[in-house]
Amino acid sequence: MLQAETLQLLCLTASSGVPLFSRGSTKQLPFSIIGSLNGVHMFGAGHGAQLSSCETDRGSRVVWGVFQESLMLIAVSGSGGSAISELQLRRLLENVWNCMVMILGQDELANIRNVERLKRELRSCYRLIDMLLERVSDDQGFMGDLTQCADCLLSSNSSLLQEALDSFAQAAESEFGCLLVHGRVAQATEKWWSRLTSQEVVVLSILVHSLSGASSCDYPVFLPQGSPTVAIRLLSFQLLPGVHVCILCGPKPSLYKAENELVSRFWSTLVENLRICMEQADRSTLPPSVSLRWDVQALLLINRESRRAVTVCPRVRGGAPAEAVPLLSSGRRLELLRLFYTFAMTRYFTSQETSVSPASPTSEDFSQGFTHVPVQCYLVTDECKCYGLQSPQHQLFLLMDLSVPTFALRTVATQTLSAITAATGF
Amino acid sequence: MASRHFKEGNETDFESDLRENKEAEGGSETDSDASSYSYSDSDYSDDLEPEWLDDVQKNGELFYLELSEGEEEALLAQVSANHSAATNHVRFSEKEAEIITDNGKKQAASSNKSKAKLKKFTKILRRKRRPSQRKAADGKDGGSSQRPTSILKNQAGQRPGVVVQQQRLKDVCVYLNPKRLGSTSPPSPDRGGLLEALLGVVHRPGGNAGKRGEKLIIHGLVPHSPASKCAEILIGDTLVAVDDVEVTSENIERVLSCIPGPTQVRLTLETVCPVGSSPDSRPKPPPPVSQLVRLLWGEDTVELQMSIAHVPHIVMYLSLKLDSESQQEEQEILYQYPVSEASAQLKAVRGIFLTLCDMLENVTGGQIVSSSLWLKQQLVHVGYWKEGSNLLVIAVPASRVPLLYLQTVIEGVVRTLKVMYGSLDSGFCEVENVPRLDHFFCLFFQQLIQPSRLIDSSRPPTPDISGTLFLDGLPAVRWLTLPADIKVEVDTILSDFESSDFGDMSEDFYGMRRLYIILGSCLFYKGYLIANHLPKEDLLDVCLYCQHYCLLPLASEQRVGQLVVWREVFPQRRAQLNPGYCQPHGRHFLLIVGLRHFMQCVLLEAGGCASPALGTPGPDCVYVDQVKATLLQLESLDAAIEERLSAPPTPCLSCADWFLPAGGRDRQDGINSSPILNRLTAAIKPPSPGMIGRSLFGEVGLGSSNLRGRRLSPQRSLSDSGSEGHVDASFTSGLSPHATPDAVRRTPSSGTRRDSLGSGGSDGSLGSAGFFKIPRLKHPNPFYLGSLKKSLTDRETEEMHNVLKLTAGAENTLFHYVLMETVQGIFIAPTHREVNHLSGSIHPQLIHNFYHCCLSIRQAFQQSLPTRDRRGTERPQSTRGLGPVKEHGVLFQCKPENWTDQKKPAPIMTYWVIGRMLLEPVPQEFYVCFHDSVAEVPVEMAFRLSFGLAV
Repeated sequence: MLQAETLQLLCLTASSGVPLFSRGSTKQLPFSIIGSLNGVHMFGAGHGAQLSSCETDRGSRVVWGVFQESLMLIAVSGSGGSAISELQLRRLLENVWNCMVMILGQDELANIRNVERLKRELRSCYRLIDMLLERVSDDQGFMGDLTQCADCLLSSNSSLLQEALDSFAQAAESEFGCLLVHGRVAQATEKWWSRLTSQEVVVLSILVHSLSGASSCDYPVFLPQGSPTVAIRLLSFQLLPGVHVCILCGPKPSLYKAENELVSRFWSTLVENLRICMEQADRSTLPPSVSLRWDVQALLLINRESRRAVTVCPRVRGGAPAEAVPLLSSGRRLELLRLFYTFAMTRYFTSQETSVSPASPTSEDFSQGFTHVPVQCYLVTDECKCYGLQSPQHQLFLLMDLSVPTFALRTVATQTLSAITAATGF
Repeated sequence: MASRHFKEGNETDFESDLRENKEAEGGSETDSDASSYSYSDSDYSDDLEPEWLDDVQKNGELFYLELSEGEEEALLAQVSANHSAATNHVRFSEKEAEIITDNGKKQAASSNKSKAKLKKFTKILRRKRRPSQRKAADGKDGGSSQRPTSILKNQAGQRPGVVVQQQRLKDVCVYLNPKRLGSTSPPSPDRGGLLEALLGVVHRPGGNAGKRGEKLIIHGLVPHSPASKCAEILIGDTLVAVDDVEVTSENIERVLSCIPGPTQVRLTLETVCPVGSSPDSRPKPPPPVSQLVRLLWGEDTVELQMSIAHVPHIVMYLSLKLDSESQQEEQEILYQYPVSEASAQLKAVRGIFLTLCDMLENVTGGQIVSSSLWLKQQLVHVGYWKEGSNLLVIAVPASRVPLLYLQTVIEGVVRTLKVMYGSLDSGFCEVENVPRLDHFFCLFFQQLIQPSRLIDSSRPPTPDISGTLFLDGLPAVRWLTLPADIKVEVDTILSDFESSDFGDMSEDFYGMRRLYIILGSCLFYKGYLIANHLPKEDLLDVCLYCQHYCLLPLASEQRVGQLVVWREVFPQRRAQLNPGYCQPHGRHFLLIVGLRHFMQCVLLEAGGCASPALGTPGPDCVYVDQVKATLLQLESLDAAIEERLSAPPTPCLSCADWFLPAGGRDRQDGINSSPILNRLTAAIKPPSPGMIGRSLFGEVGLGSSNLRGRRLSPQRSLSDSGSEGHVDASFTSGLSPHATPDAVRRTPSSGTRRDSLGSGGSDGSLGSAGFFKIPRLKHPNPFYLGSLKKSLTDRETEEMHNVLKLTAGAENTLFHYVLMETVQGIFIAPTHREVNHLSGSIHPQLIHNFYHCCLSIRQAFQQSLPTRDRRGTERPQSTRGLGPVKEHGVLFQCKPENWTDQKKPAPIMTYWVIGRMLLEPVPQEFYVCFHDSVAEVPVEMAFRLSFGLAV
């Protein structure tokens, strides 16, 4: 039996059902189970009924996904703990597929010639896939895997860094450059936002984060949507421990040249700024100039146009009165935020991003049943009050203390939104 | 021919079976308590048999529905219109028709028209409405459905003397009600007899009047008679057959006299057909008026089924224990409905359902509750319910039932089936239940997939699937608050009935043990519950049954002539084990009797202190008659309840369209053009310019202090100035700002006035008790401006009626609400009529949105409830998720459709839909929809609304 609070990811060939790999925190499911999980889907597909998902009374779920008609990914979540939503599992499958494409290329996955060879090659993806599995219940404040918007860091001296990044990328003959601090995008070139899809940005951030041990690397990547069959070079350099800069480029420049000439030329003068930026990132993802109300427990702000997201989960209350109750644990707050995001997105709000595989349809859209547009929603639970707000440009998901009166939530939410956007131009 | 004989044999066997069975029952009764039965027999044997007696089925169940006379008129039109369409579908009646035709022919051949044969005809006529029996007899039918309606039509050519080439046979259906003839002696033959009195056909016998077997040529039609109304019977036609029994001038009277009660009769007429017009060229009939009734009667199910055959849906009861030895195909399917193309596809993949159920239990330790799959680009949700080693699977398209509400729907079905059959196994595994279940699931899917076809489409409230889903899914019944005095009267009448003191009709009178104990009853009026003397769980059981058989909408839209339902039920409360108290082991029976708009459901217990029930007892005439008597007694209150229904809504509701400038301005202009209203608005114009109101409603924005008297509004000075010290704190704009003058009424009672006076204090909430204190004064109907002229004087303007408002602030911003009292199992919501009056383009959309949103809100409440899961095991406490949700709100934004003005941006109206779950002081769920302009505290609104709501 699957243990509670576990998540298993299975990968099989879609046509023959040969298991390629199985990842998850606990020991692998028995082969017979894997076989029947795949079997029911194949059986249904043979009869014109494509199985999409199922759920048990204790909140365990199984979600099936077929990609490029060659690979089948199955996510099985155990019961207990906090049930993992279908949306989250569905996004997980998409992200895993994107990671696999990014590393191996679509040709390799879509036309399987040698199963054993593919199995060996897929091992190189394990690290990323495991990271994605961990992020499903992550307490670092990464939400990109769920929102499919890049996790960002809003730094105070952004213009300086942006300038350095732009010229660095230009010198490296690339239009795509990105500066990451602790896995979050601090700055990126304009093309990074406009030309890459949000899913690509998310998986690239995860990839760079997973490579953070190396001081520099030159990694061939495929872009799941932009260039699924032609590899591009990803150059990544560690500027400080936890601070990386990466560019996507063609055959030039060589890693040696870039590391020895360009990095020192553009970044050595900014070490102090980067250090400040990193220290600030340790405290909050927002610049100090933005002052949040003390009773904000956590928030997630998404820019719907550029598909960027900021997650804020304050460590301490600033300026709270003495009688204020202590904050919930940050893990719980992030979990609540993730749950509330899922709740609002599956029922009321819409995200415009397109699915990776339009052939495999996603789940039902409850919000389509509405004749009028839901623009805001709130929840009052035992632990906190949640407020969600959607405008043409932004989506804000806010967790507040229970002490905030319910009727004031709306004002607090709009004020918070305008405070952040005004101060950072997010 | 052989097969027909065989079938006929079956029929008669069946009849005799039935009789034997009854006799056997009677016999056993006589053993235990002989006199109880004999007395009722003696009382009723000489009397007219109740009409429903012949409809009692073998297992004692009864579903008898008869429309009242008013409805017949509607039916008439429908029947005549429908008739040509129905020919290919009503296969069951065709079948009977065949048999009768055979009879008729034999009769004609032997010219031995014995009375016995005619009796049989009577029986068949009566049995017409018994769906299940007809289906049961029809078990192996399949190929015969293609046959044409009338055998006569096909065989007419073979008969000598009838020239079919020029003369055409046509079938006309008419609705006959012999009861309308009254109890007078049968009409004398020389005055036309029944033919003229009942049917309205004038036939003047030819020269030699006594001639046997003269053709029935129609010489004239009686005005307003069924024959003339159907407009298809023409003078000059010849009446050939009645329900395929050949008729002549000789036997027509006898045939007609055999019609037992109101029924639909098919007349076969020979008519001179204009050359070239084939029967197919007849105009297509308009959509039927009342499919629901036809469906309940068991007619027409095929056509309705066909119309949703393309929609994937299925119900299956599957066995998880596979017997590998017997290699029978499909042996694991214990029950399945329907048989259509789309469902065949779902049936083919039943292996998925079985495997998933088995595997997920092994892998995750939980029971599967739902799965989703794509079928031809359509998402289908499948709900599961495992009981023992069997699995119930119900698949519905996602467009009809959202996944988050699927489980509630499944649970409702399972509970209803358990109430009806005790357990799923006993329901599905009995072969004789199959036709009943077919009917049950036919209704179930029709309600889900095409509710609009069931409900009379000519009336405005087109049922909206989200609304039906939500309201039916609530563990509560729609309640109608009544003025206290009527309520007391209703309760007294019900209590009188429940005391089982039937005078000389009761068993006590004869010193016998009672047949049944009346556990309680509940009373519906037009689908609203108005009195309940049942425990909550029993009420819900009864209500689930009524919902699934659409009895509540039926009573609200049509005057039911007579409805008698009798069946054994298995109340779920009694199925559960209560520690410390053991329920008496008895059997329970549900008796539902409906008369016109009233419907009473009675739960009876046999065993326990009453005598134990043996076999499958049918309804007892005494009990049915007593319920009928109760209903007749209640009918005196009809007018009062009707008045309550037509009273302006309390609390007042606004229409969404009034809040959009475009619609609002037009309306206002229109109203201001009326001189009376101008005077009125002038009279009631608030003197204080400081009044906060939207410019839109400035001149009539008459809000006032809210109920709780939190603040004194400037309007008080208005009423103060008018009538000395008459402080009407709760005076507000009525239905709407514009409807204010209509709502002019007297202040109801000194009680509320006192309350209002005291509302400055903290006890102001007392005033809210007045929400449901509906005055029984005659007042102008607020929806007709015409009545204003007579009723409105300046004086009366000042004595504004205490129309109450739920929302705070100057305007009434309330659009819709639903309040559920969890403990009592009732909910209140604006009545259909109130909603209908708020017509507009946006408002219906808003109502739809409200209900759709409520589905989501309620699901959020449900998933977080620390309830025991449905299999009785405690859910692991660690399931936290979002945690218990207490309140959930969604803000919607809407723009008027087709906004043409390019210069100005379209105006936007925003409104909240909020759900609130309260556990203290009484568990309640409250759903409300109001305009965004005022921040509301739903707890307070719920409190205000529920105050004074007592069962």
